[in-house]
Amino acid sequence: MVKRLVSFPAAVLVVAVLVSGCGGSKKSTSQPSGNKGGTLITLANAAPSGSPDPQVNYTLQEWQFLIITHDGLVGFAHAGGKQGTKLVPDLATSIPSPTNGGKTWKFTLRSGIKFSNGQTLTGKDVKATFERLFKIGDSPNAGTWYNAIQGGDACVKTPKSCDLSKGIVVNGNTVTFHLAKPDAEFLDQLALPFAFILPASTPAKNLNIPPPGTGPYKWVEYAPTKEMKVVRNPYFKEWSKDAQPAGNPDTIVQKFGLSVESEVTQVENGQADFLANSDQIPADRLNELSNKHASQVHIQTLTATYYFALNTRIPPFNNLKARQAVNYAADRNALVKIYGGPKLNTPTCQVLPPQFPGYTAYCPYTKNPGSGKWTAPDLAKAKQLVQQSGTKGATVKVNTDTTPADKSLGEYFITLLNSLGYNAKPQFLSNSIQYPFIQNSKNKVEFAFSDWFQDYPAASDFLNILLGCGSFHPNSDSSPNIAAFCNKGIQAKMDQASTTGVTDPTAANHIWAQVDHEVTDQAPWVAMFNPKQLNLVSPRLKGYLWSPQWYLLLDQASVK
Amino acid sequence: MVAFVIRRLIGLVFVLFAITVITFLIFFATPGVDPARQFAGRNPSHATVVAVRHQLGLDRPLPVQYALMMKRLFISRDLVSYGNQALEVVPAIKAATPVTLSLVIGAAVIWIVFSILVGLLAVVFKGTLIDPLLMILALIGISMPVFWLGEVANLLTQDRLHDTVRFSWVPPLGYVGFTANPWQWFLHLIIPWLTLSVLYIGFYARVLRADLLDVQNADYIRTARAKGLTPQNVLIKHMLRTSMITFVSLFGLDFAVLVGGGALLTEVVFGLPGVGLLTYHSLNGLDLPVIMATVLYGAFFIAIMSAIVDVVYARLDPRVRLS
Amino acid sequence: MAEFAFGPDEDVVLAPGEAAQQIAGKSPWRLAGRRLARDRVALGAFALFLLIFLVCLSAPLYAHHLAHTVVFGSNLNGTTTVNGKTVQVIQQGGGKLGIGENPIGPTWHANYFIGSDTTGRDVMARVLYGGRVSLGIGIGSAAICCLFAMVLALLAGFFRGATDAVLSRVMDLIWAFPVYLLAISLATVLLSQTHPIINPASLWIPTLIIAIVYIPYVYRPVRGQVLSTREKEYVEAAVSQGASNRRLMFNEILPNILSTVIVLFPLMIATTILTESALSFLGIGVQSPHASWGTIIQDGQDLLYTRPWVAIAPGIMIVLTVLSLNVLGDGLRDALDPRAKIRAKE
Repeated sequence: MVKRLVSFPAAVLVVAVLVSGCGGSKKSTSQPSGNKGGTLITLANAAPSGSPDPQVNYTLQEWQFLIITHDGLVGFAHAGGKQGTKLVPDLATSIPSPTNGGKTWKFTLRSGIKFSNGQTLTGKDVKATFERLFKIGDSPNAGTWYNAIQGGDACVKTPKSCDLSKGIVVNGNTVTFHLAKPDAEFLDQLALPFAFILPASTPAKNLNIPPPGTGPYKWVEYAPTKEMKVVRNPYFKEWSKDAQPAGNPDTIVQKFGLSVESEVTQVENGQADFLANSDQIPADRLNELSNKHASQVHIQTLTATYYFALNTRIPPFNNLKARQAVNYAADRNALVKIYGGPKLNTPTCQVLPPQFPGYTAYCPYTKNPGSGKWTAPDLAKAKQLVQQSGTKGATVKVNTDTTPADKSLGEYFITLLNSLGYNAKPQFLSNSIQYPFIQNSKNKVEFAFSDWFQDYPAASDFLNILLGCGSFHPNSDSSPNIAAFCNKGIQAKMDQASTTGVTDPTAANHIWAQVDHEVTDQAPWVAMFNPKQLNLVSPRLKGYLWSPQWYLLLDQASVK
Repeated sequence: MVAFVIRRLIGLVFVLFAITVITFLIFFATPGVDPARQFAGRNPSHATVVAVRHQLGLDRPLPVQYALMMKRLFISRDLVSYGNQALEVVPAIKAATPVTLSLVIGAAVIWIVFSILVGLLAVVFKGTLIDPLLMILALIGISMPVFWLGEVANLLTQDRLHDTVRFSWVPPLGYVGFTANPWQWFLHLIIPWLTLSVLYIGFYARVLRADLLDVQNADYIRTARAKGLTPQNVLIKHMLRTSMITFVSLFGLDFAVLVGGGALLTEVVFGLPGVGLLTYHSLNGLDLPVIMATVLYGAFFIAIMSAIVDVVYARLDPRVRLS
Repeated sequence: MAEFAFGPDEDVVLAPGEAAQQIAGKSPWRLAGRRLARDRVALGAFALFLLIFLVCLSAPLYAHHLAHTVVFGSNLNGTTTVNGKTVQVIQQGGGKLGIGENPIGPTWHANYFIGSDTTGRDVMARVLYGGRVSLGIGIGSAAICCLFAMVLALLAGFFRGATDAVLSRVMDLIWAFPVYLLAISLATVLLSQTHPIINPASLWIPTLIIAIVYIPYVYRPVRGQVLSTREKEYVEAAVSQGASNRRLMFNEILPNILSTVIVLFPLMIATTILTESALSFLGIGVQSPHASWGTIIQDGQDLLYTRPWVAIAPGIMIVLTVLSLNVLGDGLRDALDPRAKIRAKE
């Protein structure tokens, strides 16, 4: 199943608000939190982009709120560390093992769970939620993830009359999913906000504020020019500390409109509790944070990769040696400087990020390779490869968005490519048009900047979505395989890994590791670095809990 | 007079219509920008993009799209941003207007008072060192880019001198509503007011001084002096009054331009969420409905204001009416 | 101008006993020139402008021979010498967390005189190169603007009728559109061409946009001048002599409006420089790989609290340039229109 990672422009990182679970549960790795009550104030420069509808919105900024207002059948544990990457049963009583060759999943809903409007959750709501996914027409992954459900493909064709009676069989509180073919990532996809359960009565059109949910909080305000706010859901009773713990603050609000500079000042001074990760902390404040507010800063490793995609179908980078040359020449230490230095970024040569399933360190494009770590560029080898490739003098458009940091990355490569003998030119486009532009093959971009953050922890989310043959759609604005990479042998291995993953995830991850290395050898990318995330919180905030999936867990922090 | 006003109004309507057409053409008829793609959000499937394009009416002919947009903007007022579907454009502009008004009116009060003061002083102390000194300061004021001056002001008040007594009161950048907290509203706006007014103090002081000197030799002033009126009386009651005609008409236009979005640079530098900042954000995100709405709002305001100024001027100076 | 062949401060002294002879008239241009030559403030301003112009023109000399630095392109790993020691131009941040990378500040030596920017480039050299672009665009767009406005105003004012009606309506339309908004709209749209017809990085885009939006500013006063000059007796006289339209336009009217345009020219340059810097600051003016004073101020925004010189230096250049142009404009006005001079000098 094609998985796409939420791709953010460089300046948009996820707002992670620390939400820690209250009380330590036996499984979660939360720290002792403070007391309940109070208002958690978070700040963001702008409201989450796109529609506020939970089945459409694809921003982590809004997802951080959706995970505490809504629930899925299963969910990622609201915990830190490795525990936070594990799936736990949420609205379902347990995680079923699939039958029928991985095509049938039978869930039993917990009883007595109520939505924030008082209605009780039943199996009917589940079926209606998935049908709505198709009915609203603009859910991004309806046709790529959830069409695995029987009847899903028909729903993509005629959304308004979507009927999933064959694919989702409801029997009181028992819900059985029948898939058209086995999908190793089905559970992961159930755990994302697109599949969070909504009341059956929710209208099948884009809403301007998320509808009632089963979580500990409910939405009361969504004003894109002012703020968005959630307050306690009076009908919530905690049923699983791992899946959906009760929250600490009574109210959580995110205010919009301030400049990032003043947001930093406010959080430093304690006038607000958290700065949304969608706002990049300005470079000239980093010193100040390091010297005067170090205790308010938490640096977290992200499962994300920043890279430049080399177009493997047009000259000069349809030539393997040319691609490898750029990889050898790129000084990843210099690139890391642009993004805040080695404490905030780790150089990489490969596709998968560290601590990701299927990752084993691998870096051939360095001086003295073999350790798996990148140490230094090898310019001599690079120049030799360029010579051998015969592509010297070719024109290369270096495409990035117009964020200053990304332009600096582009300028670095322009200088580098020119020194290698190419004729490099800048092509800097506004954020809102750059990403679709570089996906479209008719724009013939030779060298384009992009980044990828995980949707959920699965290797195919990186490898298959970004470098699989099926992800390349010629002449389409929606073709995440920007490098237009398609290698039959490697694709076969990816397919093998996907199938193996249904029954034996560990074996599958071994195969994925091999795929990662082989893809890196083919050099469709110049992978640059894996970023870390800077979280700035107020002095009064206690119970900081950071999940690798949802980042700062907002409702587990306390302000009292 | 009535004929003049009617002629002016007809001209105004024509100009407004033309502005809407030009704006629409600039943003919607330029090849290469695909509005549907943005509205569809991140990573939509191809089918979604097509569906959105149809939903927005972007597959219809241009005149139809123009009519649709005008209808959504003016009649049903439900025009929605491409960046965030919950953002309704007209309410957003309504919410941003008080901020811009606060900024511009405050700055205007300051610059009117000070430019009159400086202009009068320059004339009164003509011949001494004070006159050229004031005029040099005025010239420097005109020569400073307002966004740069704002950055320098921020550097001093937010950072370098922030810990001194003089500037510790300066709050972080941003805006606080007058109804929410009048004192904070005032504090947040002082530095932006001063920054914005510097440019205009310089300009208007020079204009006033030139006009006053122009009028100084007029016969009726000589008569007033001959009658034995005090110099102050002559200056303020007679000379100033005539010179204010130009002052007022220029002021009307500048005020209109600022309220209409000309204060964009100041709002960006100080983080004030007014119409200018809204325009700036929408430009960065190529959010066409919002850009269109803010540009039209600005153009309308200025066109209407300049029509009013023309009428007022015609009332004061009959020669204009008859031209 | 013809009426002021004998200016009020003309010294005509007859030697004793000398009969009144034919007095050679001096052309108004010569007189204006002499007045300007006596105006020391204006001359000083002109000298300042010329100095800035020459210094910026010599940017390559500075960069290669004096400073030996990188101006364009990336220089993240560059080094320089401070107090005899070699230091990295971009250094890792300190404090407890070691986050961030800081460019070095002013060294007050030829190399990295006022420090480096976030990509390791010498800011002083960039300011000089940026000056070439800012001055180039400023002078270029002002020249195009004044030229076109003058020609259009001449045609409109002279022929009147339909020509005037059409031209003036078009000008009104451009005038009605808020200058910044029109410039911003055009720039945004031209810069986001995904299948470019005009190269988005071309310097012609900001030059032409700025020239176009300011044409009405010059057109209006010049057209007024043309209209009033048209009614003068000497034009009537030329008509009665059977002068052709061309001769009327170029020999009678043009010289009279030329002075208005000459006074406006430096003021327009000042305006265009300020406009270009504003557009570049907003990101829709000069584009990479070029730099202008406005783009450097934008670069300096990110470094404002740690390396303020990056933002301050180009601003100072703008202030000095625009100030000198304003003073020069004043001086030209005083020289070319003695009526104004009488007013101002009294």
